[in-house]
Amino acid sequence: MALLADLVQNTLDGVALGASYALLGIGFTLIFGVLRRANLAYGPALMLGAYAAAWASLSFHAGLLVLAGIAVAASIVAGAYVERLCFAPHRKGAAAAAMVASFALWMQLEEVAMLAMPRHLYAFPALYEGGPLEIGPFVVRVDALLTLLAAVAVCALLWAILYRTRFGLAVRAVIDDSRAAGLAGIDVPKIFMLVFALASAIGGLAGFLIAASHEQVTPMLGMWSTLKGMLAMMLGGLGSLPGAVLGGLALGLIEAHAHWFLGPQLRDFLVYLLLFALLALRPPWMAGARHG
Amino acid sequence: MDEYALGVLTNIGLVSFVALSAYLLLIAGELSFGQQAFFGVGAYAAGMATAMLGLPLPVAVLISMILGAAAAALVALPTLRLRGLYFAMATLAAAEMFRILFELLHWQIEVGGERVGPDGTQGFRGIRWVFERGVEPDAFLAIVWLLLGLVLLLFLVMERSRLGATLRALGDDPGLAGALGIDVERFKLGVVAASGALAALGGALYAHHNTYIEPRNFDIMLGVHSLAYALIGGLGTALGPLLGAVLDIGVLEASRFLHGYRMIVFGGLVALLLVFRPRGLLDERTVRWLRARFS
Repeated sequence: MALLADLVQNTLDGVALGASYALLGIGFTLIFGVLRRANLAYGPALMLGAYAAAWASLSFHAGLLVLAGIAVAASIVAGAYVERLCFAPHRKGAAAAAMVASFALWMQLEEVAMLAMPRHLYAFPALYEGGPLEIGPFVVRVDALLTLLAAVAVCALLWAILYRTRFGLAVRAVIDDSRAAGLAGIDVPKIFMLVFALASAIGGLAGFLIAASHEQVTPMLGMWSTLKGMLAMMLGGLGSLPGAVLGGLALGLIEAHAHWFLGPQLRDFLVYLLLFALLALRPPWMAGARHG
Repeated sequence: MDEYALGVLTNIGLVSFVALSAYLLLIAGELSFGQQAFFGVGAYAAGMATAMLGLPLPVAVLISMILGAAAAALVALPTLRLRGLYFAMATLAAAEMFRILFELLHWQIEVGGERVGPDGTQGFRGIRWVFERGVEPDAFLAIVWLLLGLVLLLFLVMERSRLGATLRALGDDPGLAGALGIDVERFKLGVVAASGALAALGGALYAHHNTYIEPRNFDIMLGVHSLAYALIGGLGTALGPLLGAVLDIGVLEASRFLHGYRMIVFGGLVALLLVFRPRGLLDERTVRWLRARFS
């Protein structure tokens, strides 16, 4: 009975954890799907957004909604900088150059954050002040619930943009075949830039929600977000948005259970082992890994 | 030479081994985020061989290179068919698994009244073979650069041979290379194993230079840095990775006026450089031009 209770509680925790992974995965996948490039500076850009919000909170005690706006805006600015310097110049080929350039900017953004705010850790206002919800013997954190809600809202909005607007049609055309889309008169570089901005905005929102749930920001948020976003995308089968959401939730569930039963080191080991095995075995839903 | 300069030069030499191992894969058309794992395997294996088993350093280095090659082949075997980013991700996942294994590795024995051996996240201290034998820092520097010179010479000879041509053919177009009768997968396995041995050689020397290693020495930062060194320096010649390491460690890290801003300068310079030279400073065209000019 105790085991069953643990399993249920872990599952609840896993879904909560997975909601933020799903958000990170969506942003990462948007960029990867359109550009076919891994943006290593994705996490550091949203970390900079969270730092900007933390600074605003310290300086003039801005409200949560204002902070969310600042995090999103700063992430878009940082994302646009990354896109101009790392991805716009390397449209064709040079995948290694684009990825290494985005790593170089990762280092740069991290140092900017640490120079602007040199303490290792800054407090961030809590997303929700009250205690957790209690459902029978189980507890659910309200901030996790809000993050899940945000993830669902972002998915719905993204679906509406992709399938109900002309811009979305253009984006899908570029994902299918960017050369053909260009020949059909779509301004492909512009689509790349707008998608990057959209992904950065989602990243900024994710960074805000994560910082407000943990009630703190550290420079580690950058690397952590890039890794989790990439893992969510990979587990979800590379390049599909619903896949990224499922991948994020799966990552959260695996981590929560493994953490409880095996401890933190084996939890991380298991996640990497799973990723490695998925890449090596390439089950049908990982179709993206066959070519590329 | 003062101690500081000695340290900088030794570090450049040590990191160049990993950067060269990343370079070897890059010219064969593969992107690895995991070379730090084999550097780590080399460091742990060589450290254990001298400090715990009492073996001489040359034997320890040899063992570590064999284990490095074996570890790399183990990672490559199930992932040989993956290309580009997917291979990169697989190597990253594997390298993180190795790092966690180093964290889980607890094996200490009594040596001369002292407990020696890897102690998980507490690290592995007391790898003192070099110091116990009175090898001065400048002598060790000479050993590191001698070995590096030897490796570079091997690379330069290899690149002018048939093997080098095959390697670049594989990097340019694996489909075509296969059609020309190259056993692509077997060849790739060999290249990956060689790169693992090379990284392990660097790791073995690193462990004996530092006398102390810990799992986080071998995290993704080292892997991406070595990739960056190879790419900044240039993919046209094996001197490229060395140039990349010299530029970062020798020029930027050593310039004290950049203190605190190093990553801002380095990061911006790398990104900008790659815009204009996506295959690095000494890329294939530049190397051809230099060769025509000076030979």
